[in-house]
Amino acid sequence: MSAPEIVFDNVSKFYGEVLGVNRVDLHIPPGITSLVGPNGSGKTTLMNLMTGLIHPNSGVIQVRGLSPYAPEKLMRILGYATQYDAGPRGATGFEFVHTGLVLFGFPKAECERRAWQAIERLGLTAAAKRKVAGYSKGMRQRIRLAQAIAHDPEVLILDEPLNGLDPLVRAETIALFRDYGANGRHVILSSHVLQEVDVFSDQVILISNGMIVAEGQIKSVREEIHEHPSQFLLHCRDASRVASLLFAEPHISEIKLAPEGAGLLVLTRNREAFAAALERIALSGIDIDGVIPTDENVDALYEYLIGGGK
Amino acid sequence: MTPYQQIWTIARLELGRVFFSKRSFWVYILAIFPSIIFLGHALEANLKKRNWGGDRVTAAELLDKVQSGMTDEQVLALAGKPVSDTTRKRRVRRNDEDPEAEKQPEVRRYVMYFDGKRRVDLRFEDGKLVSRNARELMNFEDDRRVYATMFQFFYLRLGIFFGCLGIFINLFRGEMLDRSLHFWFLAPVKREVLLLGKYLAGLIAAAFIFGTGALLSFLSMVLPHDPNEVATYWQTIGPEHAFWYVAAAALGCVGYGSVFLAAGLLLRNPILPAIVMLIWESINGFLPDVMQKLSVLHYLQSLCPVPVPLPNDMPAVLKMLLAPAAPSSVPVAVLGLLAVTALVLFAAMQSVKRLEINYGTE
Repeated sequence: MSAPEIVFDNVSKFYGEVLGVNRVDLHIPPGITSLVGPNGSGKTTLMNLMTGLIHPNSGVIQVRGLSPYAPEKLMRILGYATQYDAGPRGATGFEFVHTGLVLFGFPKAECERRAWQAIERLGLTAAAKRKVAGYSKGMRQRIRLAQAIAHDPEVLILDEPLNGLDPLVRAETIALFRDYGANGRHVILSSHVLQEVDVFSDQVILISNGMIVAEGQIKSVREEIHEHPSQFLLHCRDASRVASLLFAEPHISEIKLAPEGAGLLVLTRNREAFAAALERIALSGIDIDGVIPTDENVDALYEYLIGGGK
Repeated sequence: MTPYQQIWTIARLELGRVFFSKRSFWVYILAIFPSIIFLGHALEANLKKRNWGGDRVTAAELLDKVQSGMTDEQVLALAGKPVSDTTRKRRVRRNDEDPEAEKQPEVRRYVMYFDGKRRVDLRFEDGKLVSRNARELMNFEDDRRVYATMFQFFYLRLGIFFGCLGIFINLFRGEMLDRSLHFWFLAPVKREVLLLGKYLAGLIAAAFIFGTGALLSFLSMVLPHDPNEVATYWQTIGPEHAFWYVAAAALGCVGYGSVFLAAGLLLRNPILPAIVMLIWESINGFLPDVMQKLSVLHYLQSLCPVPVPLPNDMPAVLKMLLAPAAPSSVPVAVLGLLAVTALVLFAAMQSVKRLEINYGTE
């Protein structure tokens, strides 16, 4: 049985003089992992390194115990949907998926069954006999995804998979990721649609200028950033009273009225002390209807760590 | 799935792309060009036979009696009306400073006869026969020599050379340009197996195109000749010649294919390897014996069944460029070519393992 992690051990990759990624150490557990970073930060480089499309200048990569230098083994457990169509020129959607399966050595009938199953799963059955060249951008995304999942891989790597998808298909595709990630498999994707990544990712890897800025569950990554205040939205009826009480706390750095009287936006440098202060306020008889962390999402982390470059 | 099955599967998937690639469509033109030339030659000869035939044919025995020094009137009386008869009168300019001008003939007459197979051109100067040139419209021996020359100097050196360049260099470089190479690299296949599968696809296509081209051009050269001559040829050395021409074409694809496949892995610009290879193949005759063994053309020339006649008055340097320096025996040529191919493919395998895909920025 293969080891269930994807490991980067001190991996560096340079394109000539240009830095791809530098000294990357990662242990990616199963589940949905999002690679987040601005253009040119090294997301695709990381994906290409994992899949052996490029090789590191130094360091070692293992994908569930397999080396990217052994495609004959690795590609049996890995599916990669790149940003580019990969298939015979002039192929129909079915041929596009089917051709990729032929090299796995499945019997002909099994190839066809798997191809149709993957196409159906991505909702492209009606368009399967049409040429891929005539597909819309969203359909191309889906057929590439169908190609990547057709052999039922343990590791699914997706480069900007949500680009060009309409909201309904996007929701279905995210459901597919969740389904995959929930079964002990790896789903690794990059995306610029940060809100969506925030919603369905089990962990996030923030990357900037070829360096890993942060990695882990979104909440724990957030907690690692001690130097930056955490932001909470307090729903309460007596906002001015709560504000005056909180101002007395030394860890509170800023309090603002939330728009449309929704409550207070509070910035604190100590989450534990803030929780204790809220408890004291509540015990003093002041109603606090809800406390919602507003910056435990990738957007906020992205801004804190990378400097606002969405 | 065994590696051999994978190689065949890859070759099968690639064949359509190799045969019908727009990028290498001109390969077909190179392959059928000699057939067109020989068919054109046969067609021209037949048209001439038709135009000069019938009552304009003169008996060969009569034409053989025409001797130098006979007058034009004597010849016409002996052989009858010619197929063509042209007279040119020189405009005489008196030039005291050029005594040679006085010796120039004033009337030149060109007469042409046809005996059903040969055209006989006669040149008279001032009424006297000074030149007699008889040649067959279709001479089997001549045409076989012409074919041998065409095969070695055009088909092997240029046709197959550039054809293989077009086919094999695109197997990897073309996919890189089309941004589709990752399809293969993401398959559960060793890179070496992928390389051999693609090479096999290119080889099948190239050997089919140029082997068929060689056979077609050979048949275009042979079949229009006199049926008796052709029948004799087929009963003796014809099949062997046909076999070795096709085999040399196919083996040319084996050798050049491996070189250009490797070049496509290493270099972006196909012009550079083509020029280097062309120079290497051309100067092969000047190289020491050991170096000559590293040339594809060296072995191919040794396989050609008819030696190319090089004129005696050809400059020595040109002779060295065109003639195989030290021909090998057929088994040595075949084994040598396969050894060179294996060596190049081995180097290509090492290269493809390190090959990276980077179509652009993310």
